[in-house]
Amino acid sequence: MDMAFLLRRIVIFLIAAVILSSLFARGQDTNEFRRILAAAVIADDGDAQLEGIKQLINSSDELVARALAAWRLGELYVLTTGADEKIPILLDSRLDEEGRARAIRIRDGEYLKGETGEEKLFLASDLTPADTTSRLRRTIKTMLDLYAMANPMPRMRRDAVVKLGQEQNPDYLPHFEARQKIETDPEVKRALNEAIQLTRMADESAAVRNPAIIALGELNSINSLHFLKQFRTTATNDPAKYGQETIQALTASIVKIENHIWWGNVVGTVFRGFSLASVLLIAALGLAITFGLMGVINMAHGEVMAVGSYTAFMVQGIFGTGLMFSLFGNPIRIKGFGLTGTGFDAYFVVALMASFIMAALVGLLLERGIIRFLYKRPLESLLATWGVSLVLQQIFRHTFGAANVQVDSPSFLSGSFTFNGSPIGFNRIFVISFALFIVYGTYLLLTKTSLGLQIRAVMQNRNMASCVGVRTDRVNMMTFALGSGLAGMAGCCLSQIANVGPSLGQSYIVDCFMIVVLGGVGNIVGTVTASMGVGMTNQILEPWLGAVLGKIIVLGAIILFLQWRPAGIFVTKSRSLEG
Amino acid sequence: MKKTSLSLLKKLFPVALATSLTFSAAAADTVKVGVLHSLSGTMAISETSLKDVLLFTFDEINKGGGIKVGGKNYLIEPVVVDPASDWPLFAEKAEQLLVKDKVAVIFGCWTSVSRKFVLPVVERNNGLLFYPVQYEGEELSQNIFYTAEAVNQQAIPPVDYMLAEGKKKFYLLGSDYVYPRTTNKILKQYLKMKGIPDSDIVEIYTPFGHQDYQTIVAAIKAFAAGGKACVISTLNGDTNIPFFKEFANAGLTSENCPVVSFSISEDEFRGLPAKELAGHLGCWTYFMSLKTPENDKFVKDFLAWVKDPKVTGVDFKVTGVDPKGRVTCSPMNLSRIGVNLWKQAAEKADSFEVDKVRAALIGQKFKGPAGEVTMQENHHLVNNVFIGETLPSGQFKVIKTFNAVAGEPFSEKFLK
Repeated sequence: MDMAFLLRRIVIFLIAAVILSSLFARGQDTNEFRRILAAAVIADDGDAQLEGIKQLINSSDELVARALAAWRLGELYVLTTGADEKIPILLDSRLDEEGRARAIRIRDGEYLKGETGEEKLFLASDLTPADTTSRLRRTIKTMLDLYAMANPMPRMRRDAVVKLGQEQNPDYLPHFEARQKIETDPEVKRALNEAIQLTRMADESAAVRNPAIIALGELNSINSLHFLKQFRTTATNDPAKYGQETIQALTASIVKIENHIWWGNVVGTVFRGFSLASVLLIAALGLAITFGLMGVINMAHGEVMAVGSYTAFMVQGIFGTGLMFSLFGNPIRIKGFGLTGTGFDAYFVVALMASFIMAALVGLLLERGIIRFLYKRPLESLLATWGVSLVLQQIFRHTFGAANVQVDSPSFLSGSFTFNGSPIGFNRIFVISFALFIVYGTYLLLTKTSLGLQIRAVMQNRNMASCVGVRTDRVNMMTFALGSGLAGMAGCCLSQIANVGPSLGQSYIVDCFMIVVLGGVGNIVGTVTASMGVGMTNQILEPWLGAVLGKIIVLGAIILFLQWRPAGIFVTKSRSLEG
Repeated sequence: MKKTSLSLLKKLFPVALATSLTFSAAAADTVKVGVLHSLSGTMAISETSLKDVLLFTFDEINKGGGIKVGGKNYLIEPVVVDPASDWPLFAEKAEQLLVKDKVAVIFGCWTSVSRKFVLPVVERNNGLLFYPVQYEGEELSQNIFYTAEAVNQQAIPPVDYMLAEGKKKFYLLGSDYVYPRTTNKILKQYLKMKGIPDSDIVEIYTPFGHQDYQTIVAAIKAFAAGGKACVISTLNGDTNIPFFKEFANAGLTSENCPVVSFSISEDEFRGLPAKELAGHLGCWTYFMSLKTPENDKFVKDFLAWVKDPKVTGVDFKVTGVDPKGRVTCSPMNLSRIGVNLWKQAAEKADSFEVDKVRAALIGQKFKGPAGEVTMQENHHLVNNVFIGETLPSGQFKVIKTFNAVAGEPFSEKFLK
């Protein structure tokens, strides 16, 4: 026989033996943890229970984790048998028709069986849940957080690490360090580093403590600021114990982190100002055209926005599960595509276009049906459009119900990233870029197209424009439809950040008129400036004065400003506005 | 045919018609009961459900034979008025119910301001009002019975729960009106009593209908950065959506900063997309998801009733009941409890006279869907309190129960 072959056989055999024995040992460990847990559940003494749970720290058994989670929620049950034996059990997640489920014995992970060997079924409401106290639940939570450090989702890992770090428990250090070696996600890595330094900060020895404090400062750890401040208070009260060096390190780190946060706040405030300004601008731009350029006091502008929002809701329904509503008592059912994930997320792009078209159509009807008879009579147009707004509101109520409807944010518009601790939401970034986009689009339309030329011509001098052959009637119609379409897009956009309900329009109409009047009627640059001014001022004031007072001051300032400059920021001279 | 003859009568003999109607009403042995909830205007969305549940309860009682007083069975005849979310109109309608319709009792009001308008009217006319919606306390009228949660039944238990969960920092956020302001004032005192320093309590208000929660959520995120923080929200109505959307977008969750909301019940969820609210907490004396035989029956019967709404035994046409997507919630349960307590008290007093019924109401017990309640001398209930976690389905899963919490309107009594 070949020597090498024999050797290979021996090596393979040895490896197999090692694997088998380790598997066996592992199996034994797993059962050991299960037994500890089962004993802890039925222990009478609270401290013994805590000790038992703490021993589970190294368990990687899925059943133990599941049982602990269930215990915390009161879904772990204790079954008392005839012989007064207490058996902790967990119910299977699959239920039969009567709501009964199989029971898993914690001790060994086996299904509980009757005498004849069939699996016994239990109803959750018949069983006694294992007792918990808040102390116990907290310990369980910590244990679950330790397990969660191995969660496949980075966000869950990070949350778990942050929470564990804040416990400042030196027992967790080896776990953090072990995790740090294998962690790949940069955010979790950073959180681990913070957690390690935060835990070391509580160390008795200044040699461990001080570098950790400095490291937290270097990390700009906002999460640790609270702890650093607390520690500084303790340390300054007892400088003999903690030493000047620690206090200095603390102060330096606190100043550094606060500086970091200050910048975050500045950027955050500016960003939020831009975002609010964009919301106002998007909402008011349509009105800047219908009221500003055409001089129609359109009180139904808000409801045209709501048309856009409801269009978004309907498009969402068509992309998703389908939609059912009743139009004047006739039930209408639209079958959905049943899309999920990226397919569903695409609804928003379609919704933006659809809402423009729907709102433009509504605007067209409104112009042809009512407004064109009232161009020379602004007061009557005010009343008539207000009536239209009431009618539209009732139609929404009738069709979609009085309650708000849910328009889901597509996944690319949910979530945020943080800049120095200030959250920057993706939906807000979208709103800002969308505002820039439609302002630029409107600018191009008004200055670079023949329709734009005609619109401006009609606005400046209707009769003259008519004389040189511009079909003013048609231009009016197109302009009004354009303004309404923009309002519809605004509604679609607002569905991502605000409520969609029959009264959506009401909450924006005043703001819209305010922005247009403040900016100067008939001037789109004015509308942009006014919304920026109002949005920024509002966001800068709000952290100082609160939302209520902030708003009052902004409104008061606008009134004073209009006293000083009744025509708004930019004054436009135009015949149509004078007439 | 009857209709034609009636209309003929109407044209010819208005007086005769009036007499004949009074006669027919008197013959049926009925007792008039007022329902004072807004059926139009901004509050209609909340209050219409209470009108529905009241009519349902009247139907339940009438089906069971009515109220036994003086050896006779009286059927409940509802008089429904619409104060249209207009506070002074609440006072006028209450006056009309008491003086013109001569109702034995009024069930009504949602907002505290509407109750404050009705209070002098019921006191002047010695009427009786049952008030079913959680409120800020600091009030006690001889003529009002508050089946509603008092502050110590709704605000204090979740704060205790949060303290027990190890929360050390509290962000009190509310809509700017009397209920949040008073509740937060009491909570602040309570938290200080529990050793939470001023620096760890923040109190913020936003106007009604506020939509822009960026700044507040950024502030909460900073506040919660050190851990152990929670939000106690008394935000009202649909302002909750922009708030919770912004909250979720900023990466805050019920794990790192739970929100306890006092103003969101199952019924509000019908108008609130629940996705972003899941995992946060609510605290009420009743949840639709409670598993008791009484609750199973209540939910089942009510859901059947809305499909075919009527009040048995009396000539009353029920209108405006929406059968779609109905739920039960705490104010609805408390409305129904109020009617039953009043019925029991009238039977005990053997009279519908306000003074006698009032005396009989004290100590009256009723085994409701959420367990037994008792009317105390201070006109508030002893009731079980539940803390529930919001599920994506718009229901609550009970995570903590406080048994038999005695309602106390005056905060100085429990801030000791």
